[in-house]
Amino acid sequence: MLDVEFQAASGVTVIFGPSGAGKSTILQCLAGLLRPDSGRVSIGGETVFDSSRKINIPAQLRRVGYLFQDLALFPHMTAAENIGFGIRVNGQEKVRRVEEMLERFHISRVAAHRPEEISGGERQRVALARALATEPRLLLLDEPFSALDDSLKRGIMADLKQWLGSTGVPALFVTHDRSEAEALGQRMLLLHEGKIAGSEEF
Amino acid sequence: MNWPAFVLTVRLASLTALILLLLSVPIALWIVFSQRRWKFLAESVIAMPLVLPPTVIGFYLLIAFGRGTALGRWYEHVMGTTMAFTFQGLVIASVLYSLPFAVHPMVSGFRAVDQKLIAAARTLGAGKAKIYWRIVLPLAWPSLITALVLSFAHTVGEFGVVLMVGGNIPGVTRTLSIDIYDQVQALNYASASQTALVLLVFSYFLLCVVYGLNSQRTLFWGSK
Repeated sequence: MLDVEFQAASGVTVIFGPSGAGKSTILQCLAGLLRPDSGRVSIGGETVFDSSRKINIPAQLRRVGYLFQDLALFPHMTAAENIGFGIRVNGQEKVRRVEEMLERFHISRVAAHRPEEISGGERQRVALARALATEPRLLLLDEPFSALDDSLKRGIMADLKQWLGSTGVPALFVTHDRSEAEALGQRMLLLHEGKIAGSEEF
Repeated sequence: MNWPAFVLTVRLASLTALILLLLSVPIALWIVFSQRRWKFLAESVIAMPLVLPPTVIGFYLLIAFGRGTALGRWYEHVMGTTMAFTFQGLVIASVLYSLPFAVHPMVSGFRAVDQKLIAAARTLGAGKAKIYWRIVLPLAWPSLITALVLSFAHTVGEFGVVLMVGGNIPGVTRTLSIDIYDQVQALNYASASQTALVLLVFSYFLLCVVYGLNSQRTLFWGSK
């Protein structure tokens, strides 16, 4: 059972809680991958789900970036192809955007490599660049850094913070790691047994 | 070795396998990704040739495409001949008879594609068509090869349906398996044994391709 109500302003809002508290479920409902039994979801003023008005915009039209815990990189595509997958323009413009993202996240070196051929940290950066390349209205981060060691984590979070700051895109960051939460977040919602049990500002 | 029968069999099996490859991809995609509750009914129809005697399938095909039905009259109008005892009739019968052998490997291949990848593609703005073309089919391609090989091999081995629908016309509907039956009826065991051996070796080779390919599957894209 999950029953929550909250608003996320720009910046990073952390959803914090033990595993099984329903953190990922919230993100999946926002992205349109799961359908809530009832309620309302709006992103940037647009209602994408409203059970009483029978509105349910499909995931592919919501323009929500989603960074999965296990990254879900396409194994048969190179890093550059992964990043280009969601870019809505074609031709030279697309090539330029992919190169920009590769540079921005310091992965130009592995552009032509498939996910299995690159390191864990590089995979992480490819997944992040892929989610951001689509210019999402909202970024959802589902414990994507839990598998990384601290120094790699810090580097990626710094790049992410810079990108979020320059674009003003709001992000929801699910984690059960307090230090990650404090490093990236501006505020934090505490989730307990499917309900919001409190909030904190950093 | 009856070479005209051999050529006819290979021609029939190749054509059937190609038609089935094209036909089965949308069917298998529908079975795997459709949310409809009653799709098990369609799945059961597709699996029927696995359990029905080939003579029953042949019998219903003869009735369905006979002059007594609208379908049969339409077929005769378009093709200029009835379906029975023609090569085209054999192709239609083979496609139906081997349908589960093409659809089932594809269904298990498509099902094995990680749901997370499909979810990721959706959040990246991909609609159904893009997900099928760029994610599901490229990742499940060994299952397409399996489907192609199995439907080819199964068509080579069919007997009852061919006899019911096609009869035994040299160069038109006499396939290798019918030829073997003929040879044995004529007590011509040496010739029958030669053809049977060719089919045995050939079938073993094709199955090696299928199982070899499936055991290598994780080598292609890894499991991550």
